[in-house]
Amino acid sequence: MKILACQILCFALFIALWQWQTMAGHISAFLYGSPAGIVAALVATVRDGSLWTDLATTALETLAGFALGNVIGTTLGLSLWYSRFVSQVLQPFILALGSIPIIALAPITIIWFGTGFASKVAMSTLSVVVVSIVIAYKGALGVDPDQINLMLSLRARRPQIFRLLVVPASMTDIFAGLKLTVGFALVGAIVGEFMSSTNGLGHEIFKSGSLYAISSVFAELVVTVVLALALSGIVTRVERLLLPWRHDLS
Amino acid sequence: MASGRPDVPLQAEDIGKSFVSDNGEELEIIRSVSFALARGEIVSLVGPSGCGKTTLLNLLCRLLEPTHGAVFWKGEEVTTVPAGIGYMLQKDLLLPWRTAIQNVMLGLQVKGGARSRHRERANALLEQLGLEGFGDHYPSTLSGGMRQRVALARTLAPEPEVLLFDEPFSALDFQTKILIERDTLRLVRELQRSLLLITHDVEEAVSLSDRVIVLSRRPCTIVSEHRIDLPGDRSNLIALRESKGFAHYVRQIWTELDIR
Ligand SMILES: Nc1ncnc2c1ncn2[C@@H]1O[C@H](COP(=O)(O)OP(=O)(O)OP(=O)(O)O)[C@@H](O)[C@H]1O
Ligand SMILES: [Mg+2]
Repeated sequence: MKILACQILCFALFIALWQWQTMAGHISAFLYGSPAGIVAALVATVRDGSLWTDLATTALETLAGFALGNVIGTTLGLSLWYSRFVSQVLQPFILALGSIPIIALAPITIIWFGTGFASKVAMSTLSVVVVSIVIAYKGALGVDPDQINLMLSLRARRPQIFRLLVVPASMTDIFAGLKLTVGFALVGAIVGEFMSSTNGLGHEIFKSGSLYAISSVFAELVVTVVLALALSGIVTRVERLLLPWRHDLS
Repeated sequence: MASGRPDVPLQAEDIGKSFVSDNGEELEIIRSVSFALARGEIVSLVGPSGCGKTTLLNLLCRLLEPTHGAVFWKGEEVTTVPAGIGYMLQKDLLLPWRTAIQNVMLGLQVKGGARSRHRERANALLEQLGLEGFGDHYPSTLSGGMRQRVALARTLAPEPEVLLFDEPFSALDFQTKILIERDTLRLVRELQRSLLLITHDVEEAVSLSDRVIVLSRRPCTIVSEHRIDLPGDRSNLIALRESKGFAHYVRQIWTELDIR
């Protein structure tokens, strides 16, 4: 409670100082924007409805990329548990893929997937999938060998060990991965929008930036932050729902 | 090759195990161990720390392959985990995402069959072990003693004929330990199961067992065998410790343990 109060106070002080200095003419509103300008820009986007379409566009791209990337990544990562040989063969390729800066893939995704929704989803998926593979595989490898021995002593076959032990045991890691990659998915979508787009938060930020409408840039940034927080909030909620045995979560 | 005796649930013939360490050196852990576990018999293995007891247990249920020798299950040589083994470690190894009863049902679920029957059997076991009402608790909300009882129920649920226990009670406080030992003993005797128990605790070994086998330091061999013959009620574990002869066995085994 005390921490929250201090946080709000700091934020309010910062905004007040910013606004005051802008009005006093010490800070250029043209170059740095101003709190009042940001609010005005926000109100304007709400009025003409563009806020909702941009927000919905980016949110959909992010969610689609997030879901696709994690489903593919988690499935691949967990299945690597089945064969140490396959996983060792694939390791350098996965690492190589993971080391590519995601923005360098943008031109190719535009050529392959066009300039619409699909290319943003592709960018978003690509920024998620490698991390997701690595995390799921680490989770699967982290299963206690004694626990595997226990399953073997019960004469469990490999698919049973996978289903009854490895998958649920990896859930904690997988959810940690989800929390991490929800941010990556958003970055992917926004980078995709920077490259070429007709709407979306990334598109607006890029457009406002090139028009030197700094307050609008900040307004769109605020919306982006809210979106990011909302998405990770949803993941946390789902985790609590799906892992009722993790009493440390509630 | 020697073949096993069909009337003996579990028999080991001259089994040995060496590991190859990272620097390519061969490390002999178990030199040669032969013994038989009779039906309804409780045998303890005691040995110095790190002598290879856990390795020996894993060889006996064929989680590990022996470097030489063979393991027989009712006279047949086995090369994979035989059906009818109950395996329990010091760690309870309860799955945290399963409730107590779901943990007890794990082995039954692996075997297959009707879920309602599994639940019935699991409930009965939980009740026998004094855990009625805790079936729907997650392991994280149970005490150490209760968790080990759930693990015991999980081990007994598929009705194994041979129980292989690796220091399952060593992390418990004395009182909890005596109580759970008493319950284990009662169930094992009642159901005519065979039990092979690994323990550090010589008094535990003498009080619970029909036979105590003393193992040497690495590379592990059998030093001696003691048939434990104590007067009075064998299920009264406290009184047993006071009985005539108990201290003698304990002292004898301590000497042979060769602890430096
Ligand atoms: N897979 C393995 N590879 C190499 N060495 C091993 C392996 N497993 C066990 N060992 C070694 O074998 C020896 C015996 O181990 P083991 O766990 O069987 O002993 P223990 O008698 O059960 O010990 P404790 O009394 O601590 O339970 C140890 O020195 C251990 O380092
Ligand atoms: Mg051990």
